[in-house]
Amino acid sequence: MSTVISASGLTKQYGSKVALNNVSFEIQTGAPVALVGPNGAGKTTLFSLLCGYIFPSAGQLRILDSPAGSSDLFGKLTALPQDAQLDPRFSIIHQLTFYAQLQGLTKTKAKQESERVLELVGLSDVANQRPKDLSHGMRKRVTIAQALIGEPEIVMLDEATAGLDPIHAREVRELVSSLSEQTTFILSSHDLSELERLCGQVLHLDKGILSEHNARTQVGDAKHFITLQLAQEYPSVEQYLQQLPMVQRVYMSQSKEYVIEYVKSADAFDIELLKCCHQQGWQYRQLVNGHTLENQIFHKGH
Amino acid sequence: MHPKRLANIARFELVRLFLTKRGLLAVVAFAICWFLILRYPVGQAVSLLDSRNVADFVESIFGAAGLSQLLTWPEAELAVYWLIALYSFPCFCLFLCSDQTVGDKQRGTLRFLTLRATRAEIIFGRFLGQVLILAVLLLLTLFATLAMLSYRDPTLFASALSRISLLFAYLVVTVMPFIALMSFLNTFASSARLAIVFAILFFAGGNIILGLLSWQIPALDSLSVIFPGYQLDQMAGQNAGVLLSIGFPLVQALVLLILAERVFARSSI
Repeated sequence: MSTVISASGLTKQYGSKVALNNVSFEIQTGAPVALVGPNGAGKTTLFSLLCGYIFPSAGQLRILDSPAGSSDLFGKLTALPQDAQLDPRFSIIHQLTFYAQLQGLTKTKAKQESERVLELVGLSDVANQRPKDLSHGMRKRVTIAQALIGEPEIVMLDEATAGLDPIHAREVRELVSSLSEQTTFILSSHDLSELERLCGQVLHLDKGILSEHNARTQVGDAKHFITLQLAQEYPSVEQYLQQLPMVQRVYMSQSKEYVIEYVKSADAFDIELLKCCHQQGWQYRQLVNGHTLENQIFHKGH
Repeated sequence: MHPKRLANIARFELVRLFLTKRGLLAVVAFAICWFLILRYPVGQAVSLLDSRNVADFVESIFGAAGLSQLLTWPEAELAVYWLIALYSFPCFCLFLCSDQTVGDKQRGTLRFLTLRATRAEIIFGRFLGQVLILAVLLLLTLFATLAMLSYRDPTLFASALSRISLLFAYLVVTVMPFIALMSFLNTFASSARLAIVFAILFFAGGNIILGLLSWQIPALDSLSVIFPGYQLDQMAGQNAGVLLSIGFPLVQALVLLILAERVFARSSI
């Protein structure tokens, strides 16, 4: 693994408003990285800084050993900026071919590449249409296609699945997952379960301040957790769970969801837990090994 | 700046004019205007230049010696064409070139572009594209005028052809600072319409302010060199030297483009 992005002391101010406050992080090649946070937390600001659309008030930002916005990154870093649209007056294939040509491809290869990326997002049949003739979801997929031109090393997708129907959102997730071997994706989304499924590293921004989380199960930690989601509300769940051997602490993270902290031993705790559910007649919906990403981000106090 | 990317961006501008519905509408409007110009003032150039009323009118604008050289051209159509084109093309290009980057900026399309081309390449590429468009339109009108002139008197064809190449060069260079001004205004205007308003304010308001200032301090009159088209009156009568006709607008265009590039390079998109 090598470092593709490194930010140190990154600050962005708009007048007296601090959009990003002394943010430092590193992103390595590999699994997609999630960028999460509430509206106005600074996600789009960070995206814009990474793409070179805006400039930092202070701090250092290096992408593949070049400063953000450098011409060295052309063809290596691409993005789907939030709300950016293609020109409505030109056909999609014409615009994508133009972008591919700017990335250094010959006209013939640029056209082939445009057809390839449109195929990836399932839009080969609308290649000759203009963006204004397409639905919102299709336009979004076309802009995702433009971000995949030339197999870049880094692709940043800001709210890529927002506005897509569940089938196409799933296709985009599968596409990201299948391409993440050769490309490092940075994804911003409000759908935490989507990010949890796709990403390893999670950058959480809130009020311009960054914290990092791991979306994967925390194997090897001193404390062990299981998150149990039940199908419906049952009485005295916490008390029953607390009586299980090895359990140290139980709390309800949200309605029908319990986080159980336990001590690891020779006996498999998850089997004991499932037995308990069966005995009590509880229907469970999901058993998560560790914390859910949502709990990591929103229940720091626990 | 990468020459290939620059050429690609410039070429894309040509497509914008000739292959999009909006661009074609602009071309049709342009063609109708020029059909009328060619049909009447240019078509009746010989009688027009012979008319005492017109001569008096022209003299009142350009002065007694102003157009004397122009009136000696045997290619009367070209003389009338020159006067009309010299003043109409700069005005026309303020409208035609009003949306060089601002529309893409508002739509977010510029965000796709800046991941593939430097901001300088975008500014200069789009400028070159607009120059190419104006050059094509100028050539069309010049050849139409040549056709009319040759129809009236075929013996003038050869001399008119050489004069046309000279006029073409002068006109292309003349419109350059106007296009560059729109490139500059595009870097901070929030719409193409506002860019046109800024241009009108710059010419109208700027001239009024400069007039008032130079009335108090006559030395400030020299500041009028900042306005594109400063040399047009002298060029109209073919009284301007090469330095004023070619060198001066080129310098103006270069200064405006550098300004545009500097502002654009620092702006958030």
